[in-house]
Amino acid sequence: MTKVEAVIQVSKLESVKAALHEIGIEGMTVLEARGHGRQKGHTEFYRGREYTVDLIPKIKLELVVADNMVEKVVQSISASARTGKIGDGKIFLARVDEAIRIRNDERGENAL
Amino acid sequence: MSTAGSSNSALRDFYTEESARIRQEFISTGNGGAALAQRTALVEKIALELWSEIVCPEPKGPRSFALIALGGFGRRWLFPHSDIDLLLLHADRDTEHAFKDRIRMISQSLWDLRLKLSPATRILQECDRFDPANVEFAISLLDCRYLAGDPDLFNRLHDKVIPRLMTRESQSLLQRLADVTRNRHEKFGNTIFHLEPDVKDSPGGLRDCNVALWLSLLSSMDKLQDWPDPKSLLSPSARKQFDPALDFLMSVRCFLHLRHGRDDNALSWDAQEEAAQRGIGVYESKELSAADWMKIYFGHARSIHRTATQLLEEIPAAWSSLSRHFQTLRARVSDNDFSVVDGLVFLRESSALRDPEVLLRLFHFVARHDVRLSTTTEYKVEQILPSLAATPPKGAELWLYLGEILTQRHAAEALRAMHSLRLLTLLLPELKPIDSLVVRDFYHRFTVDEHSFLAIESLHRLREPRADWEKQYAEILSELEDPELLYLSLLLHDTGKGAASENHVEGSLAIAERCLQRLDLESAERETVLFLIGNHLEMSATLRRDIFDSATVAAFTEKVGTPERLKMLCLFTYADIKAVNPDALTPWKAENIWQLYIAAANQLSRNVDQRLHPDADVHNDKIAHLRTLAPTAGKRVKAFIEGLPQRYLKTYAAQDVLHHLEMAEALGKHPVQLDLTRGRHWFELTLVTNDRPFLFGKVAGTLAAWGMNIVKATAFSNQAGTVVDTFYFTDRFRTLELNLSEWERFKQGVSDVLMGQTDLDRMLKSRMQADEKKGQPKVKIKMSIQSDNVCSSNSTLVQVVAQDRPGLLYTIASCFSHHECNIEIALIDTEGQMAIDVFYLTQNRNKLAPDHLKKIEIALREALQSGS
Repeated sequence: MTKVEAVIQVSKLESVKAALHEIGIEGMTVLEARGHGRQKGHTEFYRGREYTVDLIPKIKLELVVADNMVEKVVQSISASARTGKIGDGKIFLARVDEAIRIRNDERGENAL
Repeated sequence: MSTAGSSNSALRDFYTEESARIRQEFISTGNGGAALAQRTALVEKIALELWSEIVCPEPKGPRSFALIALGGFGRRWLFPHSDIDLLLLHADRDTEHAFKDRIRMISQSLWDLRLKLSPATRILQECDRFDPANVEFAISLLDCRYLAGDPDLFNRLHDKVIPRLMTRESQSLLQRLADVTRNRHEKFGNTIFHLEPDVKDSPGGLRDCNVALWLSLLSSMDKLQDWPDPKSLLSPSARKQFDPALDFLMSVRCFLHLRHGRDDNALSWDAQEEAAQRGIGVYESKELSAADWMKIYFGHARSIHRTATQLLEEIPAAWSSLSRHFQTLRARVSDNDFSVVDGLVFLRESSALRDPEVLLRLFHFVARHDVRLSTTTEYKVEQILPSLAATPPKGAELWLYLGEILTQRHAAEALRAMHSLRLLTLLLPELKPIDSLVVRDFYHRFTVDEHSFLAIESLHRLREPRADWEKQYAEILSELEDPELLYLSLLLHDTGKGAASENHVEGSLAIAERCLQRLDLESAERETVLFLIGNHLEMSATLRRDIFDSATVAAFTEKVGTPERLKMLCLFTYADIKAVNPDALTPWKAENIWQLYIAAANQLSRNVDQRLHPDADVHNDKIAHLRTLAPTAGKRVKAFIEGLPQRYLKTYAAQDVLHHLEMAEALGKHPVQLDLTRGRHWFELTLVTNDRPFLFGKVAGTLAAWGMNIVKATAFSNQAGTVVDTFYFTDRFRTLELNLSEWERFKQGVSDVLMGQTDLDRMLKSRMQADEKKGQPKVKIKMSIQSDNVCSSNSTLVQVVAQDRPGLLYTIASCFSHHECNIEIALIDTEGQMAIDVFYLTQNRNKLAPDHLKKIEIALREALQSGS
């Protein structure tokens, strides 16, 4: 099993969710996040005051998938979150040893 | 032991069979009260059986030892999975030791039957002692009931020890019970209106039924020093609603226990669905939807909650010294109509409520002073409702009071009080469909009506901002010209959820339109309320896009139109999200809303000089509306608005535009047309005339010379050179406010200056000398001048932020005029002592050349620094 973490633009959440549903992924955790990579901050002046946004609002998705689904999921997220501009986000993959469904103690991929 | 074992087995069979029978009967009748009584009798029978077998075969033996039911068992309210509270009462330690093993056997047997036993062993003397760390035990004694053993011992407890204890410790017990209840209510957000309530612990649940009865019992025992007649515990009027509510809640909790197979009292959505389908607690053959059934639930919960909170309010000893201090302060707010005692409002004249104005003033009083209605006042309000329903206040009279209530700090509490007494839906029947309405989604925690009240409350709470980001919202809230319109929009924004309409926003708009008509709001006010309701999801929708993309901001700004509406929509969005559930407005979301707000605010002040061309702007709704309002004046309207900035139409309502047209057409009779009106916060002077050098500065100077403080201003001109300038000002010396005769003289003064018949410099000099004596301002504002030659295609933008002072606008505008600049648009605003003025300047209809702009900036800086 692999944990997929994707940091994406806020505006792309709906299209990424739809794309994942299309390939049969229903479960995911969505977190409000802030951050920046190469995309730097943004400054606005309002009433003579400077408002600097160093950390840009992002959405972080977390999902654990069976190994045979990893590539599909990555493709799906990439394609649906891409605008081609700086700030589109990143995807991280990490191995997961075990998954347990709390309701009935199912384990492994059955618990996903 | 083998005998006991076989006996246990027989008891288990008996218990299982009887439990199944009770369950079956409940399923077929839905009668919770009967099920509880039967279950109590069943458990009692088993307990007596065991007592006879293990402790003593004689019905009233042994001596000096008694078995007593407490809590729910004592009340005969034993729910299928409730704990069974037993008191094993001994006369002394000797009997306690003598029966120790047998008590253990009884407990074991009951546990074997899977009955959750909660036993307490005490000697009689111990029951007379008050343990502040275990108030629950003392309270549970209030429900004690004899089961078996020595009846004399029980009678000593019941007739002597308990009345003595309750009388002696009544204040401590009342206070502790009140504290525990208030903390529990606080945990549930002090509202009954949860989408998935807990029928035991939520406000208005069964625990509140107990609290109401205990409070009443304790108060009566304190007075009588004995047990009162149980029927006298609550007033007959309270009983009328309390008893059916209790019956309903009993049935619901019984249903939940049987459904969940454990002591789980959460009325989840699934449970609501099933309860509605089975008509739990409702003795009607009509099939109910879950939403309708929940309305019945909330109706009963409201009655219970009201009774319990009324009784809680009558416990003055429960207040800390600090609370007592506040109550004393509150008492000082009493006026000719209402007196405040211990935070409760009483009527000075009991028949006063016959006058609907006094009734509305009562709730304004509540909204203003954070006080509650006393039971007697509530009763008086309820009495007056039937006659009020025949001729309810409406139109401007109702709006006058409602608007005032909505803007007061404790508006939400006043609205809740009105709602609870059914007065709110009588005055605003549009709210009926959302009364206690449950709309299911994964985010909302409260019913639709409570969500609306919470939204209003969350804005008022901004007056005491906690987080930094709350301060920003508080700032724009304090600047609103008509905050009551924002609050009214919040009150009505989700009414569509109770209508058949698929899109709740459209439903809310249709309902709000009817309501606004009844309230007789002015056309511009109606437009604002409908705009806010119609667009209340717009900002949230934009937040799901890239808010740092200029196209996203531009599209959003286009929909919003004016800075005032932007402020209102921003605050609306803040409040609407915050009222969804306590965690819904994360700092992440609050920051994003604010970022979108400032991006849109900047967009509005920097892209406002796009000109109107009625022939080309065929899709402009406002132009279309003007055509319908004045079908015969089509050509004249067209000529008048030709070349005006698009912002002009966003700033003024259609009626205002037609009025400006009339003024423009009267220029032939007099070259300076002035209109002076008084608004809620300030005076408004509209000037229509032909453009000329120094025009804007001269008007600003004249107002300053009269001692007026300009807080806002707008200046627009059309292609024909007709100018529409509006100045919003406060009357520092109350010259106009106190002297109606001065209005004409004031207008004449402005006109004379513009016609060159009065020396403005001389007028200003004497005013400035008078003002200089007043000393330095308390808050120092750092001056900043920013210019932008890119954001507009036709003009150069200059933004001046400076210390506000009399004559400031005159100084700035004169400086521009001296440098031969034409003010195309002026957007003047003040925030406390800070003036924020944005000007769109041209010279010979072109942008300013960079060198020219530089010179102006230097001159302006010098003029502002020298204060001249």
